[in-house]
Amino acid sequence: MTMDCERVIEALPAWLDGEVGAGESEAIRVHVESCPACRAARLRWERVDESVKAVLKARASGVSWPWFWSGVERRIREESHRPGRFWSWLRPGNFSRRLAWAVPLTVVCVLAILLAEQYFSRWWRGPNRGNLAAVESIDGHGFDLGLFREDETNTTLIWLFLDEEEDEPASEVPVADTTL
Amino acid sequence: MNSSVKKEQKVVVEPSDQELLRRCRAGDLEAFQELVARYYQRVLMLVLGIVHHREDAMEIAQEVFYKAYSRMRQFRGGSTFYTWLYRIAVNQCIDFRRRRKREPAGLGEAVDEVLEYHAEHGSNPSDVIENAELMKRLFLALESLTPEHKAVIVLRAVEGLSYKEIGSIVGCSEGTVMSRLHYARKKLQEKLAPYL
Repeated sequence: MTMDCERVIEALPAWLDGEVGAGESEAIRVHVESCPACRAARLRWERVDESVKAVLKARASGVSWPWFWSGVERRIREESHRPGRFWSWLRPGNFSRRLAWAVPLTVVCVLAILLAEQYFSRWWRGPNRGNLAAVESIDGHGFDLGLFREDETNTTLIWLFLDEEEDEPASEVPVADTTL
Repeated sequence: MNSSVKKEQKVVVEPSDQELLRRCRAGDLEAFQELVARYYQRVLMLVLGIVHHREDAMEIAQEVFYKAYSRMRQFRGGSTFYTWLYRIAVNQCIDFRRRRKREPAGLGEAVDEVLEYHAEHGSNPSDVIENAELMKRLFLALESLTPEHKAVIVLRAVEGLSYKEIGSIVGCSEGTVMSRLHYARKKLQEKLAPYL
């Protein structure tokens, strides 16, 4: 099997990595040994890998073992003293994480109460039921959940809204000039 | 007389990775320390090849071993320990690069480190100067590659892993490894051309 330079140069990297079949590998070896241009190409490919390895080896060798291990050990020890995930979730400061849970959780709770109320009201109130309206604040983050149920038309309305009233200063109503 | 005195020969047999892993799972921190000592230089080389900045690379490499320790029970032995370790390292590096895009500011510092290493190891001064230029070019060339390309070339050049092993670490096929490797080497070769 004879090969031309173009094919050999194309296959050189894979050949150097030992990723070429036995037959083709032997043909490349024979060609490279007899062809100065392909031999030079082989050296250039090899020098790329060698340079990468030499530089990284030199940089990594500057790191002292005790220093490296102390960093790993510190992480392991810190983890073993860290409180459980549930307790850390409850710590103050995790407001944003709690808020992510608070909204869907409140919606589910209100729905559950509503369904329960609808189901059990038959037992304790009989057929004549009144309307229901409620506004719930969610975890003190400025969100409110409103609920209104009207019995006659059997309509239930649930809405989530941002309560901006608490933060806004009360608007001053201009007093009418009575002198005019 | 001398012949009657038999020198006591001690044969130290190093425990295998599997044995150390078994001890780690039983909570033996010393066994884990031995595993870290065995692989920390290699993991560092891989991380430095992808991240370049020394302080960042240290942090990542330490984090890799900490993660390996905390996930030790998840390692079922389907691959070798170092393959598993490298997989964690590559993922950590890629995550890091996505989170924080730092300029290759560590270039001068990196060159100084390598020159220092060569000076300590008694290299010829003219070789050292030539190396400095080569290194600058190499760092800049590596910096122009994506983390995925860097991972592939470092795993091949430093560790000499097969395409199959690299594919299992990086999470792609052998064909993809081959094409990434070809592209990365071609880029490096172009940028290092006067020095090769």
